[in-house]
Amino acid sequence: MPKPNLSEQLDRAIQSILAPSAPSATARSGRDGATPAAPLSKLARLAGELRGLPRADFKATLRAQLEGRTPMASKASAAPEVRQTATAYLIVKGAARAIEFYKQAFGAVETMRLNGPGDRIGHAEIRIGNSTIMLADEFPDHGALSAETIGGSPITMHLQVADVDAMAARAVAAGAKALRPVQDQFYGERSGQFADPFGLKWVITMHKETLTPEEMQRRFENLTQNPSAPTAEDQESKWTLPVPHIRKGFRTLTPYLLVSGAANLINFYKEAFGAEEIFRVARPGSDLIMHAEVRIAGSMVEIADATAEFQPRASSNILYVPDADAVFHRAVDAGATSLAAPADRHHGDREGAVKDPGGNTWYITTHITGDHVTADTPAVVPVFLVQNAEKYVEFLKQAFRARELFMTKSPDGKIRYVSLRVGDSVLAGGEVHGEFQAAPFLLHMYVANTDEVYANALRHGATTVRGLEDAPYGDRTATVQDPAGNLWSLATHVKDVKF
Amino acid sequence: MKDVQETSERRLIEAAQQDPSRFAALYEIHFERVYAYVSRRLTNREAAEDVTSEVFHHALANLPRFEWRGAPFGAWLMRIASNAIADRWRRGSREQTDALANDPASAEPSPEETEIRAQLFRLVQLLPIEQRKVVQMRFAEEKSIREIAQVLGRTEGAVKQLQFRGIQTLREEAAKVSGSNLVAKAARKQSQKKNRSGAANA
Repeated sequence: MPKPNLSEQLDRAIQSILAPSAPSATARSGRDGATPAAPLSKLARLAGELRGLPRADFKATLRAQLEGRTPMASKASAAPEVRQTATAYLIVKGAARAIEFYKQAFGAVETMRLNGPGDRIGHAEIRIGNSTIMLADEFPDHGALSAETIGGSPITMHLQVADVDAMAARAVAAGAKALRPVQDQFYGERSGQFADPFGLKWVITMHKETLTPEEMQRRFENLTQNPSAPTAEDQESKWTLPVPHIRKGFRTLTPYLLVSGAANLINFYKEAFGAEEIFRVARPGSDLIMHAEVRIAGSMVEIADATAEFQPRASSNILYVPDADAVFHRAVDAGATSLAAPADRHHGDREGAVKDPGGNTWYITTHITGDHVTADTPAVVPVFLVQNAEKYVEFLKQAFRARELFMTKSPDGKIRYVSLRVGDSVLAGGEVHGEFQAAPFLLHMYVANTDEVYANALRHGATTVRGLEDAPYGDRTATVQDPAGNLWSLATHVKDVKF
Repeated sequence: MKDVQETSERRLIEAAQQDPSRFAALYEIHFERVYAYVSRRLTNREAAEDVTSEVFHHALANLPRFEWRGAPFGAWLMRIASNAIADRWRRGSREQTDALANDPASAEPSPEETEIRAQLFRLVQLLPIEQRKVVQMRFAEEKSIREIAQVLGRTEGAVKQLQFRGIQTLREEAAKVSGSNLVAKAARKQSQKKNRSGAANA
């Protein structure tokens, strides 16, 4: 047999190196009878080192991810690999928002995105657990219609998870609605059903017992013959069931402004921000406002004249509007003090600031670019400015299950801007600095279970301002002060009361 | 020389701390090093890519917190990588789905070994184009000679020749760079380690 040439010999050695689970170049080549000659053995060893050579594609994709499109995104693997035969392909209205939502709600990882045509996404892939899901924006011309457009979907997505309660809480915090609460099912699973903001239904489930089909059938018949009253567990209100506990028209968080001259302030909001007065009740025997509700650009704001117990506090809020310049000038004309004329800011927004006649600061903002504002960011976002914002954010996470949406830091490592999701609302803030003075707010927060959240807040360092009580207007309430001096008025809406 | 390098890297870090879009320069400097380290400890390619990705995303997100206190930026990245791998091990042992290397190769490689490997990966990028394509397809994309021949429109014999020449060039260049044939040394050390463990298991 003619002696194979050097390149042939080296390739044989390389083949054995690259063979799955090859323990090492030398060990394998010996067994294969392809022991390279002395000059080749050096090359073969080097080839062994090359076994870990990174893919050029991977390096480029990772760089692109880090650089541009998703600077703060969680890790995404560069090479999406479809491991399953059948894959769901979701058509949604707002695919970019949907991807963001699935990341937050289900821990999805974006593995691929093709932008366009226009500002729509032509195709994207995400991975949840070990499954790939494909999605795209709707393209009605091509018959690609979203569930939202069609008015529902006959398909339910089914998520098998290790901890259904935790995943459900996470999904709800991200904005999913609970359709059926999480509970133990007769077929040995613990599951609940949720609607995402894009018209799709998701069952989140966890395996608890392994049952034979016969046993399932028996339990099913038992259940249909003896429908029992809801169990204590069904009734137990958890974080997974926020919807009925929030008064109609409200969100999780509502800024509550305590001022001197509430009536005057309401007039200002009408004139400057086009506010709509929804409700007002005067303090008995006086003209002072005990409680008022106005809607500004779709967001509720509550206002009251300060009392001895609840002193006036000049809080800060962001007001997102389509035209910051116009609203800024209207506000100044209506009697606000200009703090900063509208200008393009480093965070990618156009923003001006005014102080209203009640002493509250409003950052009148038009969002231009950046991930810190999404389509579901409310028009009014309360702002905190505190010393040691990092520690405060930690408190908010623990006490109120806040979740970080976006953060930038100053060169000194302090938080310049952070936005947090609390329930279905957004809270923004940062380290107190320069001309921005600390302005402790009062926030009205709807929660699924006031008792639970109150206890949890106290456990993490909040103090009681007002203990638990059943308020005459149908809410169960408690008010706490957090370590930064901000007040949180917790409430669970229990029943509607007519005034 | 080292001081110059240190100062310029320091500048790059400060620039990236102020403007994250300038992180790319740091990424280019350290990518091979991190990948060399991670891929030595995780032989599964997908796992190595996942962890490398995790390391850089984590580094970018935490860059504002990085303080230059004598410990070089590269060492910081290695620490992140080491932690990420440790996390993966913990998860892996629970879920048993992660294909992790469980031979002694996954033990901590020395900084010298990592550097040599990283250097080799960088040298691949400097190969003449045809050699580079073959080496990348063969080792990084794990294609067979036949597949590469199809992609390049060459005969299998020609591809094997290019492969041979590519590796030969790498060996020569590596010897020039290190001056003392460090790559070969590292490779030898590695295979000795493996052979020893093989004997112990036998």
